Amino acid sequence: MLRMTLAILRKDVKLTLSRGNGLIQALLLGLLLVFVFSLSQGIGESLSARNAAAVFWLSSAFCQVLVFNQLYALEEVNQSRLGLLLCQRPIQAVWLGKAATGFLMLLLAQCVFLPATIVFLGQNLSGPLRPAFAVLLLTDAGMCALGSLLGALAQGQTTRESLLSIVLFPLLTPLLLAGTGVGAQAFGTADPDGPGAWLGMTCAFDAIFIAAGLLLFPFLYAGDD
Amino acid sequence: MLTLERVAQRYGDNLVFKNVSCTLEAGSVTLLVGDNGAGKSTLLRIMAGLTRPVAGTARFAEPTLKIGYLGHATFVYPALTAFENLLFWRDSHGLEQTEEDIFNVLERTALAGRARDRAGTFSRGMAQRLNLARVILQQPDIFLLDEPTTGLDAKSRAMLHKEILLAREQGACVVLVSHDLAQAEPLADRVFCLEKRTLVEKACSRRKQTPERPCCA
Repeated sequence: MLRMTLAILRKDVKLTLSRGNGLIQALLLGLLLVFVFSLSQGIGESLSARNAAAVFWLSSAFCQVLVFNQLYALEEVNQSRLGLLLCQRPIQAVWLGKAATGFLMLLLAQCVFLPATIVFLGQNLSGPLRPAFAVLLLTDAGMCALGSLLGALAQGQTTRESLLSIVLFPLLTPLLLAGTGVGAQAFGTADPDGPGAWLGMTCAFDAIFIAAGLLLFPFLYAGDD
Repeated sequence: MLTLERVAQRYGDNLVFKNVSCTLEAGSVTLLVGDNGAGKSTLLRIMAGLTRPVAGTARFAEPTLKIGYLGHATFVYPALTAFENLLFWRDSHGLEQTEEDIFNVLERTALAGRARDRAGTFSRGMAQRLNLARVILQQPDIFLLDEPTTGLDAKSRAMLHKEILLAREQGACVVLVSHDLAQAEPLADRVFCLEKRTLVEKACSRRKQTPERPCCA
């Protein structure tokens, strides 16, 4: 299973980065969101740390929708999905490979969104960074576990972008809340509870989404049209 | 090697076929013919495990048997080179073949000279040869070939026929769906026809005509 996962990861990273357009679209959409929110500030004003963190995670969530649409669309060309189903390996390898690729792409996009949030929304990283980084990685992992599962659900549908967004966003709410809470602390908002509670909640939802991915993916990614 | 027992399939209210039963042996080539829409491709997909029949079962002699499926779609990633495509499928299938083996397969399918070219630049026939290379690389026990000559020129068709006979010689079970009865029939040990919504065995050059096995023409 691991070998198939790595093969899918290598292939998807190569195809996404060589074509570029999928990731660039996702980056531009995220940056546009940050920029539009920056217009809501008056001259000399800055958005609150919590709002800025929310905008950062909103950009990441929209970016994630486009990334997973594009990743599953790769298998629709020449129906390679059927080839993967014939590999006689646990099909969860596809889910894991796509989730891992999505995770890398999302991290790459966030390397752009974070400086953009700091510059356009007038923030600085004055809070505790280590827990914020841990929550960022855990939130990304949960988002990608769920995104990979629902990407398979939306594949082949002509309305896949909207279908993925409609199903994905409500389920992501707990993770986005955690990301926003800890992100606000990283941008300097004091929180007496600290990041511990958010960290625990993120881990719990990651576990749920990973279990859901492993259990449900074979039913969503099947040969019958 | 592969047994179909009372298999039936329908799409909505439309019954495609029913009571399809047969046993396919190792080291044999089975030709499957029938009119357009008779359900040949559907039956092949059921054999491959890609489609679940509404009734009946498709059973393999051993669950570990490797299946090589060549359908209408080529499974080719246009942005990868021919070599990278095969490398990906090798790793996805968990095969142990070396890079040299991959080049040998590309040589057999007359694609060695284009190994480092993107598959997106290939003609339909070349993409089909790359598809065939993928199946050969797998060294399957069961070859399921759905109109494999689509887009192939005479030279490539001869190469394909050579590969089919080689697979039979090596003990594989080959199931071939083809419209070109004249070309495919001489390869076949058995001929089945999907007609009147069921599977009927026909006579062929290797199996004489009987009342139960009428002429396939």
